[in-house]
Order: sequence, then C-alpha cells, then structure tokens
Amino acid sequence: MSPATWTHQQRVERTIAAITLVVLIIWPAAGFSSYWTHQILIETFLFGIAAASLIFLYAYGGMVSLAQTALFGIAGVILGNLATASGAGGTSKGLHLGWDPTLSLVLAIVGTTVIGLIGGAVASRNTGIYFLMITLTYSVIAVYTLGQVTKISGFSGIGGINNYTPGWIGNILAHPNRLYYIALGTAVVAYVLIRYIVRTPFGVSLQGVRDEPIRMGSLGYAVPLHRTLAFGFAAFLAALAGVLYVWWSGQIAPGNVDLPETISLLIMAVIGGLSRIEGAWIGAFAFILMDNYISTSTHIPLIGFGGTLFGGSFNTVIGIIFLVIIVISPNGLMGLWGRLFETRRQTTGGESPDAPAAPPAGPPKVSPDRPTT
Amino acid sequence: MKKYKLRSWKSAAVVAVAVTAFAVWATSSLAASHAATVKVAIMTDCKGAFGFGYELDIGGAQAAFAQYAHGKPTNKAKPSAGMTNISVNGTPVQIVGYGCGNDTVPVAVTETKRLMEKLGADVMVGPLSGDEAVYVANYAKAHPTKTFIIGTAGSEDPTMQIHPANLFRYHGDGAQWNAGVGEIAYKKLGWKKAAIIVDDYSFGWTSAAGMILDFCAVGGNITKRVFPPLNTTDYAPWVRQLPPPTQVDGYFSAIGGTGTSAMLKAYEQQYGKLDPNKWIGNLFFGFLGADKTIAPKFVGAYIGGTGTGPGLKTAQAKAYEAVIKKWYGPAKLNPADLFVANYYNAAWALVQGLAKSGGAVGTALQAALPTKLKEGYAVSRGGYAYLDSRRQAIQDQYQLQLVKNADGSVGPQTVAYVPAVDQSFGGLVKPTDKPYGRTVPSCKKVVTPWQGKIKVVKNGVITSQVYK
Repeated sequence: MSPATWTHQQRVERTIAAITLVVLIIWPAAGFSSYWTHQILIETFLFGIAAASLIFLYAYGGMVSLAQTALFGIAGVILGNLATASGAGGTSKGLHLGWDPTLSLVLAIVGTTVIGLIGGAVASRNTGIYFLMITLTYSVIAVYTLGQVTKISGFSGIGGINNYTPGWIGNILAHPNRLYYIALGTAVVAYVLIRYIVRTPFGVSLQGVRDEPIRMGSLGYAVPLHRTLAFGFAAFLAALAGVLYVWWSGQIAPGNVDLPETISLLIMAVIGGLSRIEGAWIGAFAFILMDNYISTSTHIPLIGFGGTLFGGSFNTVIGIIFLVIIVISPNGLMGLWGRLFETRRQTTGGESPDAPAAPPAGPPKVSPDRPTT
Repeated sequence: MKKYKLRSWKSAAVVAVAVTAFAVWATSSLAASHAATVKVAIMTDCKGAFGFGYELDIGGAQAAFAQYAHGKPTNKAKPSAGMTNISVNGTPVQIVGYGCGNDTVPVAVTETKRLMEKLGADVMVGPLSGDEAVYVANYAKAHPTKTFIIGTAGSEDPTMQIHPANLFRYHGDGAQWNAGVGEIAYKKLGWKKAAIIVDDYSFGWTSAAGMILDFCAVGGNITKRVFPPLNTTDYAPWVRQLPPPTQVDGYFSAIGGTGTSAMLKAYEQQYGKLDPNKWIGNLFFGFLGADKTIAPKFVGAYIGGTGTGPGLKTAQAKAYEAVIKKWYGPAKLNPADLFVANYYNAAWALVQGLAKSGGAVGTALQAALPTKLKEGYAVSRGGYAYLDSRRQAIQDQYQLQLVKNADGSVGPQTVAYVPAVDQSFGGLVKPTDKPYGRTVPSCKKVVTPWQGKIKVVKNGVITSQVYK
C-alpha cells in the first residue's frame, strides 16, 4: 500500500489525519484552553472509541448493537469495585476490594470482553432487528443491575475511581495531561487495531458473513462464531472506553448506561457516519462540542437571535441536527465528505477503497423463515 | 453534486487554517476577565425529579446576594433571569452560570466541569441532590483551590466520609433533618415496633437513618426494612413486603418524588384507608408538591422536617422571611422551603467569607468562611448554626405535623424543636463507620443528646414543655 496507489481522496484524508495528529500531540504544550484539553478532547477520544466499536459491528459485521454503552459501563463498574478502597476519605460505594490497580485494570478489560463474548454467543444466531433487541435487553439488564444491586453500585454509583490509577500512570489528578495522552494513544491504537483486524482473514470473512451469511455458512464458515468474536472485540473496545471514562470523571453510575446514554452513543456514530470508522471520532467530537456549548448559559449571538439557541435545549438542537444529517446524508459527516470526491464518471462506483463494500443501507435483511445457520 | 477537484496540498492547508482559526476562537472564549472578579456558579437541577428546584434554589441564593451584596434581580418573578451588580466591599462578584443537573451523577459530572473549568468559576454554590454532592465532594478533593458550598444536598458522605477541606455545608444532612421524629413516634404515638420503606439510594438511606437512629435510641424496634429502587413505578410488590398493620405500630417512609403517592396508593389498595397515626413520612409527605397530593390524606400525621420551621414566630425567622419576600415576592418563593432557605444560607455565608477575605478566593476564602451563621430558623446558642470540624452544620431541627389551614389547604406546621443536632448524632455515628445504607445504622438503644429534651412548639412559639 504505497502512497503511489492511494486515491485522491485517500491522499487528502491521510494528510489531514497526519496534520490533526500532530496538532493533537502538541496541543497540551501549546497552552490552549485547558477546558478543551481536559474535557472536550479527552471525551472525544474515549467516546470515539466506544462509538468506533458500534460502527465496527455495523459496518463490518452488519450488526446494530445497543449494548456498547452497557459494556462501557460494566468495565467502569468492575474497575471501580476492584480498585477503590474504603476507609477514611475513601469512596463510599462499591465493594471496595482495594486490589492492585494494574490487576484491576486488566480484570476490568478482560472481564468485559468475556461478558461480551458470552453476550455475543447468545445473540449470534440472530440478525437484524432481533439482534438489536437482544442487545437492547443487555443494556436494560445492565441499567437495572447497576441500579438495584446496591452492593456493586446502586443509584449513586461509585466515585473517586481516578484516585486509584496504576503506578506506571501515576497521579492523573495532579497531572491531567497524562490522561490526555493516554486517551489519545488508546484512541490511535484502537483505530489501528480495527483497521488491521478487518484486513485479516477473520475480518474479511466477517464481512462475508455480513453480506451473505447463508452462503458463508454453506461454504463452511462458522457464522455464529464470527459474530460472537466480533462482538467480543467490540466489547474489548468498549471496555477501553469505559476505563478511560472512569479515570476521567472518577465516577460511574447507572445513569451512564441508561437509554438516553445508549442513544447518545448511537447518535454520535450516526452523525459521524456508520460506514467508516473515522466517523466515530468525528461524530463524537461534533456531539460533545454541541453538548458543551449549547446550554442555558451559552449565548450564541449570531445564531441564537440574541439569546440562547432554542432556549438552550441541547436535546432539541441535537435532534434537529440528527434529522438534517439523516435526510441529507444517511452516511453522516463522513458520507458528506466522501461525496465531495465523487466524480460524475462512475469508474469504481465512486467509493474509496478504505470503506468496506456497501453495508446495507436499510435494515439488514431478515428472513425469519430461513434458519440463520 | 458539484464536481470538486481539490488539490490535496491546498485543501489540506485550508483545513489546517480553518482548524487553527477554530481553535483560537474556542480558546479565546475563555479569555481571562478581570482578575479581581469573583466567579460564582450556582449548581442546581433543571430536569429530572427535582427540576422544579431550579427557580427556588437560584432565588434563594440570589436573595442573599441582593440583601447583602447589592445584587439587583433582573426579574423579580423569575430568579433564573439573572442578577447583576453583585459586589462585596468593592470586589465584583459575577454569577457565571447556573448548573442544569437532573439528579443523576453523569450529568452532575459534565455540569460541574462546565461550570468550574469552562466557565472558570471560583466558587460553587450547590449542588441540589445527594448523589450529585457525593460527586462534587470527590471533585472538590481533586481541586483544592476551588471552594464548594453545598446547596441543599442531604447525603451523609460529602461531609462525614469524604469531607474535603474546601467543601462546606451550612445545613443538616437528611438524617439530621429527621432527628426527633422517631422519639415523637415512640412517646407521643406510642409506637414500639415499626417498619420502614426507603428509596434505595444515598438520600433515602440518609433520611431513613435519622428516623431509625432516633426511634431505636428511645427503645423502639424496626422490624422490617424495605428498599424499592429509585424510579419504581409499581410499588405493590414492595408494599407486600411490609408487615401488615396488625403486626406493627406504624410505618416510616423515606420514599420521595413521584414514588410517594404511588407507594401510598399501593398500600391503600392492600390495606385500606391510610391512618395518620400509623404513618410518619420524611419531608416528601409535606413539601415539594406533596402538600396538595399527599398531605390531605394525612391530616394530623407527624412528618420529618428539613431544618426549617414553617410558621415559627421568632423575630429572626420573620426577618428572614421578609427578606425573601422583598427580593423575590413575585416569584412566590416559600421561605420555609428547604431549597430556598439552604441556598440562601449558602450564598450568605459566601458573602461573609468574601468580606472577610477581602475578595480573595481559594484557600484564603476557605479560611474566611464563617464558622457560625445566623440562619433564619436558628434559635439555640444565640440563634446561630455552627460548623463542626468537618465543615458540616450543627443545626436546630424542627419536626412537623400536617394540619388543616383556615383556607382548607393542608400543610406542615412546626410542632417540635430539637436543638443543635449534629451529624454524628452525639457521637453515635463515626466517620469510620460504613456510610448509611441498607443495614446501616443498626437498631440500638442509646442516648441521643436531645433525648427527653424535644420542646413542644405551639402556634409558632417554642414552649417549655417537652415531649414525654
């Protein structure tokens, strides 16, 4: 894959990506607003990873998963319960096992991945709307488990988790830039990992399973196993995001995994573009920007008619933007971007080789009368 | 679609310039204002179970700024319209923003960071709810140069277990609010055995703890504790877990929000008409809208207070109530409402602190915040509420009874005065104890500092009679 074989669009994108990466790396040192560094950008990185897990499952697996937020929360809850300790000045909820932070971190990520594999195994024989409903069930189970099992969380959740970071990370409260670089690095690693996996034989056959599960089954591929492993990998990514979140906010509660949060993640992914992984971070950035700047206290003189935009109602604004994006460009912002490069002559179908072969535009085919292998 | 042919280097340069310009615009929105201006954020809820508290909290706080710091309300009927001209001995004070929480923690996280980091507030007055305050307490620990004065959150943890040096609370926690009501149940209503139904989260546990500690201390016994999760809609299975009225003398309730009427309805369907002598609720039986829906079913019932004394006729209380009416009369704020009173006291404490620190914030302000406050409803010790060693208020408490007013409405009236209640209940609760929860506190016969000293309040006057 030498630069000579890159298409025009790829060249532009990779240049922008390189420049953006350089800017992001020097950002904290450049003395820009610390609110941007420690809130907007870190949130973008970590929610981008969670959104990327959702987009990965949809774009490469043909599965719409509403369980990514739940898995994100589960990782945070596991880490919170294992790593925090009780006692004077300690946090007040959770099991307080006080285990070694590095071990807790590993167990949180591994544990969530295992839960994802189990969940994926249960759901793997279903597709389309049924798969979506099963993952929604997982999400609801997570909310109620976290809310009602007060030993592990309860309504208030667990707090102060960012006091218990591993030694090799150090004190991120005293050195918040460390969390910035960890989040940035993890986001880059997650992106590279996804791009790598979809080119492996597993990734390619996963895309085959996405498009033609019956044919793949008759060719001898284990279709449910592919879906299960894909779901497990997405759980791993969601776990990374969850761990970063609890280090950033210090807190995890059922309110982090409820239906509005699940939908927020879906909105981030859709705004960014469900067909491309890059859309995860673009969508997360757009969403978080709006979330932070549209509120009753923000006056937008140009747009807001001298007052706040739509009375400061974030939900109204995000809803309108979401509608507009769906109508104009169902493939989100990345889809709009891709259209800039479309030529009139349809040579290769006008798609960049980066994007996976057209994922289903509408809901994936559901054939209830045919066994899904 | 237009045929775009972008030259990759030109387009990349354009994008880079756009990104940089955007970044500069975004960061310039944080340009430092006058170094001398003190930035205050009022953190409250505008959505969720306590969304109605938005105007009450802001109104209470701003009334104090108006009375003691020359503040000018923008709109006397709508506190959230803002306030200008606030200054303390020449130091300008700017309210940079109102937090818009929804009682849950994730929103508290983003709102706190927005107020303290994006808008750069030096001081937070708030938050409103218990779980938000637990987060804010942990946040305060990590940000020692910022100051936090709790608005009206009643959870135990922020000052008992977490207790950062820059967090102050000038009102009681949910347990303190109920101090005395258990003793009244035992002595006046003759309850020996009771069951308790509690919202399964930190404020529910804290509120229930006050009832349990007090009732058990005098010799009562809590035979069953039931914990429906927050936001339950069907209370029938939970009511079924309660012992029937033949097996207990009464029920304590620490259910709040929309759950209160739902739970009582389920109980009525199971056991018939509600008996005011067999139920003692916490503040959710008489305040925050319950006076119209729930109180009418319980005329004559005792309910737990909130540290305010509705109907108290002391000069200090009347003066405080007049101040609220003066500044926000058209907004119809009830001065005895805990949301109004507690935010008022927090803001007043801040003004006093800034006056003493000469406008300095950070650790200087924290050292200058008053350790005693002449709160409207304070009577003991010269009419002051005092802060203990953990910056938690030792506050007079008032237990209430639902009475029918002359105009036919039902509302809480002060019937008992419990002097100087501290968060540890006289040493019974220690910071090393597990925080209040499903099994904490246990039911023990002990002596509370106010046992046998609860004074009867008749028609707003504290008599010398005690509850025997």
